[in-house]
Amino acid sequence: MNVTRNNPMMAACTLVTMLAVSACATTPTPVCGLADTRNLDTAIDSARDRLQHGCVAHFDAYMHELLVVAAGDPDPANKEAFSDFLVWTSEAGLLSRRQSQETWNRYFNVKFVSLRGDYNNCAQTCPVRPQVMADMETELADKERGMLQAALDQEGYYRADRLFSETELVLEATCRACEAGGR
Amino acid sequence: MRKENGSGERLAGRGCAAVVAICCATPLMLGAARGPTLQLFPTTVLEDIKETGQVAEQMETGLQDVIARLDRQQQLYVQSKCEGATEDPGCGRIERQLGATYMEMLEIMSSRLPDMERAVNSTRDSLETRLRSELGLKMTPWTLQETLLGNQPENAQAVQPKLRGRSGLRLSERFRQYYTLVAQSGRSAEHSLAVVAADIYLDMEEASTLIAQTREEIGRATLLEELNQSFGVITPEMQQVVDGVKSILFGESGQVIELAGPPPGTGDTAYRSPLEW
Repeated sequence: MNVTRNNPMMAACTLVTMLAVSACATTPTPVCGLADTRNLDTAIDSARDRLQHGCVAHFDAYMHELLVVAAGDPDPANKEAFSDFLVWTSEAGLLSRRQSQETWNRYFNVKFVSLRGDYNNCAQTCPVRPQVMADMETELADKERGMLQAALDQEGYYRADRLFSETELVLEATCRACEAGGR
Repeated sequence: MRKENGSGERLAGRGCAAVVAICCATPLMLGAARGPTLQLFPTTVLEDIKETGQVAEQMETGLQDVIARLDRQQQLYVQSKCEGATEDPGCGRIERQLGATYMEMLEIMSSRLPDMERAVNSTRDSLETRLRSELGLKMTPWTLQETLLGNQPENAQAVQPKLRGRSGLRLSERFRQYYTLVAQSGRSAEHSLAVVAADIYLDMEEASTLIAQTREEIGRATLLEELNQSFGVITPEMQQVVDGVKSILFGESGQVIELAGPPPGTGDTAYRSPLEW
């Protein structure tokens, strides 16, 4: 005691250390890593648990990990497992309904989330056509991971691939026609 | 130009055939009455496509003979080892024949190209208007996507139009295929029609530019050849023009490049998520 009373520097250090220790004790950092498993159901359970315990910011990483696990044991039934998981995230209030839908459709539907909008193509799509096509290409890669690698939906994936090519061709022609009309 | 080449009877016959073909195709295009549909190929556009094919066919027919003759003369020139033999009277004669045939080819082309250009531009312009109105202004990105997908059941066999890149086809054959594709597509295949319309339009744009360049080139080549009174041997430039004309009009081998089809599907992926759009 005499030491701290006589040495203000030492007293300050002790106080800071005590405060730091008490802070750590009251707000523990959540453990957000998923369980190390090759089973999709177990991995999804783990993700649900983590999301409920403060790890919502890790959602994208969880989707990535779950897709890797699913690709290790691809099955058409995996689609349903992902759907149930995403419906749950929405019902639990972790993601909005729209976010859940976008995630599902991005990975498991033939249609492209990147090709949406409420205005006509001449006005909305054509001015940003290169960006739209780049986004669709990225989404096609996600569909490959979801539909093809995780859910073995070859027919769906190849239809999405063809839709991408057709959209590229049709948009090129349509946007040229729009441009010619504006001249 | 067409009227100069065919007898009145042939023209009348062709006209009747065109009318019959269009009359037969129209009901297919109109289909049964149900809901708003794409109006990409009204009768006027079909007529434009058909006419462009006919003009291309006439141009091919006119050039086929002269290009074959040019090839034979060139072959004879090489076989006779005329290269460098400028003093040889026989070689001189072949050279003059070559030059004359080349000029003949240029003349045929310059007389036919305006018709071709008009037909191509007319097809392009009518498709341009339709594409802008039907796909550009009446559709959102989402409805375009749905149109391309055609709202088919997942397991249905999709009608796949052949996409661009069909080099190696005669021009007239290409238009015949276009016409057949369009005429055979009923209302159930609107997604294909959108792709076919885009395909033809882009092709017409390219063809139009190419024709304009060729016309300019012919003017230049004719002038050069007229200046070169000797009608000498086919120069590399002349050969390039001839090769270009051959590849544009007659193609190489008639092969059609098709997109690879999907591997056999699993067929048991009928699950529909409640999240699906």
